[in-house]
Order: sequence, then C-alpha cells, then structure tokens
Amino acid sequence: MNLLRTLIFLSLLNVIGFAQGKKLLFYPIFNDQMIPPGGGTTYWISKTDTVTIETLRFYISNVELLSKNKVIWKETNSYHLLDITKPMSFLVKLKTPPGITFTQLKFTLGIDSVTNVSGALGGDLDPTKGMYWTWQSGYVNFKLEGKSNLCKTRNNAFQFHLGGYQSPFKACREVILDVIDKEGAEIYFDIARLFWGLDLNKQNEIMSPCKEAVELSDKLVKGFRSTE
Amino acid sequence: MKKLLLIIPVSVLLLLAFTLQEKYSFTIPQGWPEPNTDFKKEPLSLEKVELGRALFYDPVLSRDSTISCASCHLVYTAFTHVDHDLSHGINDKIGTRNSPALMNLAWHKLFMWDGAVNHIDVQALAPISNPVEMDEKIEHVVEKLQRSKLYPRLFKKAFNDSLITGQHTLKAIAQFMLTLVSSESKYDSVMRKHSKFTAQEKKGYDLFKKNCSSCHTEPLFTNLQFESNGLPQDPTLKDPGRIKVTKNPVDSLKFKVPTLRNIEFSYPYMHDGRFKRLQDVLNHYTSGIKQSQTISKQLVNPIILSSNDKVDLVAFLLTLTDRKFLFNKNYAYPRNIFAKAAQD
Repeated sequence: MNLLRTLIFLSLLNVIGFAQGKKLLFYPIFNDQMIPPGGGTTYWISKTDTVTIETLRFYISNVELLSKNKVIWKETNSYHLLDITKPMSFLVKLKTPPGITFTQLKFTLGIDSVTNVSGALGGDLDPTKGMYWTWQSGYVNFKLEGKSNLCKTRNNAFQFHLGGYQSPFKACREVILDVIDKEGAEIYFDIARLFWGLDLNKQNEIMSPCKEAVELSDKLVKGFRSTE
Repeated sequence: MKKLLLIIPVSVLLLLAFTLQEKYSFTIPQGWPEPNTDFKKEPLSLEKVELGRALFYDPVLSRDSTISCASCHLVYTAFTHVDHDLSHGINDKIGTRNSPALMNLAWHKLFMWDGAVNHIDVQALAPISNPVEMDEKIEHVVEKLQRSKLYPRLFKKAFNDSLITGQHTLKAIAQFMLTLVSSESKYDSVMRKHSKFTAQEKKGYDLFKKNCSSCHTEPLFTNLQFESNGLPQDPTLKDPGRIKVTKNPVDSLKFKVPTLRNIEFSYPYMHDGRFKRLQDVLNHYTSGIKQSQTISKQLVNPIILSSNDKVDLVAFLLTLTDRKFLFNKNYAYPRNIFAKAAQD
C-alpha cells in the first residue's frame, strides 16, 4: 500500500499547484480492497476460492468533462493506457483551461471503432504496448491475467483479453459518472465485477472478439464509480 | 521593413524543412479506380519507402534473424513463394496458408486470405508475431532496430526522429508495400491500345469475361470480396476461412479472391496452394466444385469450358504477366543500403 500512498501524495502535490489542469486519478479495487501497484495480490471471491491478479492493463479514451449535461471540455487525441505495473499511469492529467468546473465525467473503457481501423498509431496506442492483436487487427481494451484455484489450466492461469470493434462484438463501453470537481476527480474501478457470476472453471480464457468478451465488458464497466 | 526581411528567410527555411522529404509520386494507372489508401492524408516519401524496403528485406524482423518478409514474398515471383504450397517460416516450420502475391495493395481494404487485417499499416504484425513465421514481438524488433547502426539514421531521415517506434516501423513497411503496383502487362498495353491480343488471347479474354470476371474483376482482377469457390476443405488443415474472423456462419469457407495478375509466376494456387498448374485450377472450376451453403453464387451453375477453351483461357491469363513489375529494380534487395551499413 506504500506505493499507493505515494501515488495519492503525488496527486495531492499536483492538485496543490505544480501543474495546471484537472487530474483524474483512477484507483483499481477488488470489492472494497485497493489493488496495489505491481500486481501479484490475491483476493477471495468466495469462501473457498481466490483470484490472484498479475496483469491489469486497460485503455481509458475519449475523456470529456460535463457540466449541467453539457460537454464543457473534450480531450483531443484522448487515449490513456493504465497499467498496474506503472502506477503513474493511473493519474491522468488533462490540459484543461483554468476556471472550469465540471459535475460529470465521461470516458470510454477501451478503444472506439474508428481508431481501430486507423492503421498504426503512436503513443499509448503504439502496437509495441502489448495491447494490439497481431493475427487479427484491433486493440485489446482491457487485459486481466492471473491465477485462480478454480482454473484447471496450466499454472491455474486465466487470461481475459477483452476487445473487438465490429458489430456484434463491439466491446468498448462509455461511462458517465457524477463527480465532485476538486481540481479533478477520483474514480474507483472495481475489477471484481468481472468475476460476478463467472464460472472460472469453464470460462478462463478470452483472447479474441466474441460474445463472451462483450458480456464481460458490460459487467466490468459497471465497476467504475466516483470515490465521493 | 526589417521585420519583413526577417520573415522572408525564416519562412523560406520553414518551407524547406517541410519539403526536405522527397515525395514519392504514386500514379494511378490510366482507367483504374481510386485507391483505397488516401495518399493525400498520408503521402508516400522516398525516405519512408526506402526504409520500408530495407525492413522488408531484413531478417532482423524474425526472432533468430533468419526470416525476412522477402523469404516468402520474392519479387521475381510477384512477391510470393513458389514451389511451396504452404508458407515456410522460422526453423522450417510450415504455416497453414499459401503466401499471397503482393501487388496493387493500395486498392485493398482488408488483408490476408481471411481479411483478418484491417489496414496495410498493421499487416506486418501478423507474420512478425506468428510462431510459425517470424515468431518475434514488435517491441523486440523495435529494440533491435534501435541498437543497430543503420536504422536510427534511416528512421531519422524518414520520420525526422531517430527514436524508433512500432508505429514508424510498421508505417515504413506499409509504404514500401504500397509502391508495389503492377499495371504494365500485355493486357494493360492492349487496353491502352498500344498492342493487340493474338487471336487465341482474344478468345481467352472473351471466355474470361463470360466466366471469371465477376469475381476476378478488371482491372485489379479481384473484386476484393471473400468467396467460397467450392474447394473441398483440406482434412489436415481444416481451415474454416473468414468465419474465423467474423464468427458469422455466412463466411464459412470463404477466402479473399486473389488477383490473377502475374499468375504465370505466382504458383501454386489457392489459399492452401493445392494446385500447381493453371490447368488444375481450370479443371477445378469445370469439374471439381463442391457445392455448399456458402458457395459463391457465380459457382452455383456449372462453368462449361472445352479443353480448347481452357487452352485459350490460359493464353489470356499469361497476358497478365508484367515483367516490368517482376524485374523492377526499385523493388529488389536494397544492396546499396545494406552495403553502406556494412562499411560503417
């Protein structure tokens, strides 16, 4: 948890005045527990079963700030790869002008269809980031890998690579949250949602666009909430 | 006035900075449709094309530096691998499909036999990562290129940035592939009224228009669609075709219609390279079609060709050979680039 405290501290420093612009701080959680940077932590999903998280990476894109249901600011080229091994990636700095206050935050979990057909892209979207399928074009929106005693696989491993940009397997999802603007907002992302009603014994590997990826994305997106 | 004196040289310098990249002029052959690639949005540059050509011929893209793109896509055979039905990759591993001939890709929207790749930029990722082709990771390729003596310099020239990225690596390879245009065959010359078909070729052309051109549409000789052409599924490969990508049953056993340009040199034929001779291909269409739920509607009724017709048809198909393309020096191994690097 030390690193997490550092993260919060850093974010506070930012809020106090180092940089201009609003900040979004995402906290990955599992039920009511923080998932600390680095991964490798284990969580109970029932009285007898556990889940260990090793890789957690996902895209937040198309960030918009709203006030009174109107968009007051929109980030251009808005793509952020959040990676549990890179704690600072969970702090998203926005280049907003001074003097705006927002009451709602809108973003997409994953990468939209237009971006998915736009060829080789750079920055967080560079295919070297390990979030691009190679045999079939398209971004992985959300990647979760780990272990569970329920998976009768090699090393009890599970792999969920959720993505897909074409109907009927379009998997990116829009999120709108009511927030209180304190020079930014803090958002919980509860990964445990993915495991709700999931039979890990039967379903432990998703590596391409499919119906299951869409269903899991629908469940997962409900895991976002404001810390307020 | 003084200000103006300053502005003029500064703006000239700025202008120069933007024009330093030498534009590669991409010409749409006479009578051809607009390409799918938007060259206005992303113009080709000589430096990027040259870099892409170096990468295309460099086995550094593979895990153990043994396989380059050109290993399976040889210029003299219309950028495919003859004699092999299925592509050969790293450690002599054998793939599941016949390497496709590469040409006129600027007109294509989807790539690979099943259309799994949606943009030419990202096409190279597939063979680079395939465990039976190059078995490498793009992130590792980028590291290797960055460490080399040659590439930071070439990337600097091409992208004005010596820091190598996956994006730039892929874009350079794509730019080279986009320059592979075949439009100088005898057929093209006849269409431009610069020469004439022989009587036999003319007969073949008429048969072609009647029986083949609805899928192998002129001038690209492909309609760029996915069709099931009645090949019985190979029981050892069990290749399901495009359904693997779309998961839609209507796409079962469908593969991309290949171009017929340079077909004389791009044998063997079909997605699994099962036919060695054009004669075998024609025999398939007249007597080998296996009907199925998804068969191309053009193949529901039998194609009837006499043995003389088949000979005439082959004579026409040979007019699609484009020697200027096959022996184009701009597509060949970039000896000068690699030789210069070896000296450094």
